[in-house]
Amino acid sequence: MFLSLRGIVKRFGAVTALDGVSLDVAEGEFVCFLGPSGCGKTTLLRSIAGLELPEAGSILLGGEELARTPARLRNFGVVFQSYSLFPNMTVARNLAYGLECRGWKRSEIEERVARMLSLVRLDNQAEKYPHQLSGGQQQRIALARALAPRPRMLLLDEPLSALDAKVRDELRGEIRDLQRALGVTTIMVTHDQDEAMEIADRIVLMNDGRIEQVGSAADLYERPASRFVAAFVGRMNVLPLAGGAFAGVSFSGMAAQEVVGIRPEHVELCTAEHADAIAGRVEKSVFLGSVTRVTLAVGGGRMVIELRGRVADLAPGSPLAVRLPPDALHRLSGGPH
Amino acid sequence: MTDTLRGAAMPAARPSRIDSDRVAGLVLAAAVALPLLLFVLLPVASILKLSFVTPTGLGFGNYIRYFSGPKFATVLSNSLVVTAVATAITIILAYGFAYAMQRTAMRGKRLFGLIALLPLFAPSLVQALGILFLLGRNGVINRNFGLGIDIYGFWGIVIADVLYSFPHAYLILAAALAVADARLYESAEMLGAGAWRQFRTVTMPATKYGVISASFVVFTIVITDFGNPMVIGADFNVLATEIYNQVSGQANFGMGAVVGVVLLVPAALAVIVEKWVSRHSYAVISERSAPLVPRPNPLVDRLAMLYAALVSLAIATIVGVVVVASFVTLWPYNMHLSLRHYRFEVQNGIEPLWTSILVSLAAALIGMVVTVIGACVVRQLSPRIGRPLYFLSVLPAAIPGMVLGLGYIFAFNNPANPLHVIYGSLLILAICNVYHYHAQGFLIATTSVKQIARTFDEASTVLGAGLLHTLFKVTLPIIWPSIVSIGVFFFVRSMVTLSAVIFLITPSTQLAAVSVLMLDESGNQNQAAAFSACIMAVVCLSLGAVQLLLRYTGGKGSVLR
Repeated sequence: MFLSLRGIVKRFGAVTALDGVSLDVAEGEFVCFLGPSGCGKTTLLRSIAGLELPEAGSILLGGEELARTPARLRNFGVVFQSYSLFPNMTVARNLAYGLECRGWKRSEIEERVARMLSLVRLDNQAEKYPHQLSGGQQQRIALARALAPRPRMLLLDEPLSALDAKVRDELRGEIRDLQRALGVTTIMVTHDQDEAMEIADRIVLMNDGRIEQVGSAADLYERPASRFVAAFVGRMNVLPLAGGAFAGVSFSGMAAQEVVGIRPEHVELCTAEHADAIAGRVEKSVFLGSVTRVTLAVGGGRMVIELRGRVADLAPGSPLAVRLPPDALHRLSGGPH
Repeated sequence: MTDTLRGAAMPAARPSRIDSDRVAGLVLAAAVALPLLLFVLLPVASILKLSFVTPTGLGFGNYIRYFSGPKFATVLSNSLVVTAVATAITIILAYGFAYAMQRTAMRGKRLFGLIALLPLFAPSLVQALGILFLLGRNGVINRNFGLGIDIYGFWGIVIADVLYSFPHAYLILAAALAVADARLYESAEMLGAGAWRQFRTVTMPATKYGVISASFVVFTIVITDFGNPMVIGADFNVLATEIYNQVSGQANFGMGAVVGVVLLVPAALAVIVEKWVSRHSYAVISERSAPLVPRPNPLVDRLAMLYAALVSLAIATIVGVVVVASFVTLWPYNMHLSLRHYRFEVQNGIEPLWTSILVSLAAALIGMVVTVIGACVVRQLSPRIGRPLYFLSVLPAAIPGMVLGLGYIFAFNNPANPLHVIYGSLLILAICNVYHYHAQGFLIATTSVKQIARTFDEASTVLGAGLLHTLFKVTLPIIWPSIVSIGVFFFVRSMVTLSAVIFLITPSTQLAAVSVLMLDESGNQNQAAAFSACIMAVVCLSLGAVQLLLRYTGGKGSVLR
């Protein structure tokens, strides 16, 4: 394995930011650390970079222990959220910085800087100062600066979150293309699930200093390992079961389950006479363009369903029968959320 | 993509057991700590030790003798009462002035703001000198109107110290009043609060910590002030002048040390309380605050301007009268213009002014290097080493100049001390000034270093730069305007200070501010005025020059902080 994390623990005073995190990353992979704020994803990235020193655990890169290697000797490229370009240097000087630290020859540096600038399509900005660039351009320069010294890994700490939506989308695609083209192993921290799902080969979903689940976007969405994952990635109705049954309808093989989950778009409408029909009453109906989202009062609780397109005649109070296809049900573990 | 950008371990990336950065950090920490121990802690320790040395061995003899003497109670109560009264008056006057500057739409703010800072740029006894030119026995008022006003003593010291400490209080209170959340005032307005209630319930709570902080700062300045009581106090003795009398007048070093310790206690307490209070102040302004823009209100603005004009007039008059007096034949008897006081037909002539400039330049240079490196190093260190170092760096704020100066005699006028060689040199004067004002310079440096986002350090580190590389390539270039203002700060303080260096000068290392005192003592008030005017001219010229330099090089910093 290219990068191996084994039992990483990091505390800040009484707060345990990382509680025994283990993870493997393959060479050339693009991994996203996803989770709510305070889940430890940034601390984990900073521990890999060497900017935080974990209290316990080991970080192996190509089988070599990194604990004793200070950050500046790890040869990782890091892109921070914002404001990390040195304001007193031109774009070209910023790009050359890491190369100068490594004692490159002047001619090599010039060549490399020009090449990195063209890679992020900012060739004509070499002599500008960071404050003369837009936020998106600054982050592209930061990316080029991180990649210039041929880092062994690229670490991105919420690189897009300070940008506005349109620039964010553009740059997201650009990062992905660049990473594919260069084949550099990359870890990106984000709190935006769409971003993670779009860009990552694998998503590491974190909560409370622990890893909840590791997998592709499809894995997390279709086979959430816990209630937390189910609730964080997309929407999920969590229904309490009594003896394997909900609202009088029993599901085979669910006798031992306490709760069961179903995605809003997997709930189907049916006639009240249908054998599995669950009777509900419309509480609220919102038309969102591609779907209509309906909140139903059902079995003493609430359920949200999404119907394709515009569905009329769903005035509050009107009855609506639904069925839950057994193959769309998720067995969920984990505490209440 | 033909170029293989794929990562390869950089040649230098060998993991090493002894990280050069750790070593560099420890070496730097030692380099910062050692001079502080030598030039701050050692002198204070010496003074403490000497206060216990009696002819019959170590003991409380000096204290018992001094405390049971008749003078002790008088001098102590003189000091405390003068300080309390001057502090109360200063804070009230400065609050009103800062309020007018920050919260009204009056005109003339730039001019008033500049005049308010004037006392900072004059030798610390100029206020007393100016008051005497106006109200003294040979002052223009008593001479022309035959009034028997006796300004010497208590009220003279109070007025002089109010004017002397005014800019310090004004700067703190102006900062406290500068920021305000308009939404709070709008809410109070909509709830029906009148102007007085708004002031009491919104303005006062938000500026409470500023007032407390300013009070303790002014308290420290007044109780440790030496120049003004010396000039205008007559036989009204305070602790600072008492130290001088004991040491210079009676060569009674043990007693001087005792009075020094007595002065050290309230001054240090005031500084500790001030630090404690400002740490407990909370951020009044949140990110979403709407800034308060003072709205024009003809009546209020006119009253504010009248008030600000009166205060400015008082400050400018006292300083101005000194300048005018330096240009007349014999104030107040012969008011014909004359340059005769600028011939400096005294011992050493104009020499002390050049000495002062030289010492001040040296202090500026040393001060810049020491405080900026100190601030950078403290930020890099782990709190376990960083916190004691920080404490040591701000400790000089609690040490009165008279005490520090006396401590330098005890510590360095001692052949056993290897640093004895610098005793009596210009270097010890520069060093004494640096460590006298170390806390303020260090805090300016810390503030500007803190403003550099941590990400710059981290970005530099992950790109492969070491501690020193980051310092010289990134940190220092970003904060250089602040570094320049720190240099200016040390230069100006060194030009005008009196209290610490008064014990350290020799006939061949006479300083301008001390000359002013000596000339005044010997009855040459007009020459003292001329010397003061020269000091002020040098200070103002240097401020102007640096301001131009900063503007020319595009720096955003201002030397008037």
